[in-house]
Amino acid sequence: MTSPDSWRLPPVPVLLTAVVLIVCAEVGGASMVRFKLELTRWARQAMLERPGTHGLVGVRDVDERVLDEALVKFDAGLRLFHLHAEGMGLVIIATATVAATLAGSPASRRPIIALLTVGGAGYPLGYLLWSGLIPYYGPDRGKTIAEWLVWIPFGGATIVALWWLAGLVAWRMMRRERA
Amino acid sequence: MSRFRPEIERYAAARVAANARVHGLSGSAEYDDEVRERAVFSVEAGLSFFHTHAEGVGLILFFGSTLVASAVPWRRARAALYLAFTMGALFPLGYLVYGAAVLAAGRDAGIELAERWVLTPLGGAAIVGLVGLALALAVARRAP
Repeated sequence: MTSPDSWRLPPVPVLLTAVVLIVCAEVGGASMVRFKLELTRWARQAMLERPGTHGLVGVRDVDERVLDEALVKFDAGLRLFHLHAEGMGLVIIATATVAATLAGSPASRRPIIALLTVGGAGYPLGYLLWSGLIPYYGPDRGKTIAEWLVWIPFGGATIVALWWLAGLVAWRMMRRERA
Repeated sequence: MSRFRPEIERYAAARVAANARVHGLSGSAEYDDEVRERAVFSVEAGLSFFHTHAEGVGLILFFGSTLVASAVPWRRARAALYLAFTMGALFPLGYLVYGAAVLAAGRDAGIELAERWVLTPLGGAAIVGLVGLALALAVARRAP
């Protein structure tokens, strides 16, 4: 580190990943509004083709309630993707900048930045996956799949990296105090 | 928004009643109540979206423009990206227009107006700026 008081940029691929993630969030948000009708129609049709999966019984009053509930969750998944992709893009930029600046040793800096980037970029995709799975597997089964395939591994990577980074910053502060 | 919620609801309902024609009020209490509720809900949604987007877009463009300043080496490219980001920063105001347009022009026409003339161009500018930043980062990385 050249000067402990100046911020260091994280590696460019990390920044690029974060910016592309934010672009995906914005395009996703815009598409959600622009194609709301088409998306809802597609999800509804896919659910009607799988009555067993969604517990449709053929009685309009009952089925409409089930379909509405699933469509609300389908829409919520898309909204949560938009929100989390924006948020995690910023989290990657901010935390990777802290790691690039304060984690002096490459042995800890590299894995922390890698975990922050991979975890942060992967986690929001879980919401997109959940939404995509709802018409085929139902909200609950879709959520379980998204949890095991995306949220737990990628979210876990981010949590591990953040605790590691917090520990490093605390350690650095204690060393400064002693000095 | 939380503190003045009843006042906002009352104001919006009064504006809908004053603009009965554009809101398609028919004089049937049951039908009109539903139309009024939907319009008031849309106004509140516009205000709520303004709140969340103004927070989020502000942060995104703050970090985005910091990256432009730090990692984009070409002066003209930086100026173009700042311009796109500045236009994008106005995007959340589109939700205020959304709320006002719903009251003035009717629910569907107001939403259509705000989306077409404010939200899409300003949101598009933010997306163009972010895509430009991504491209500039990719090119700057390859440049010697």
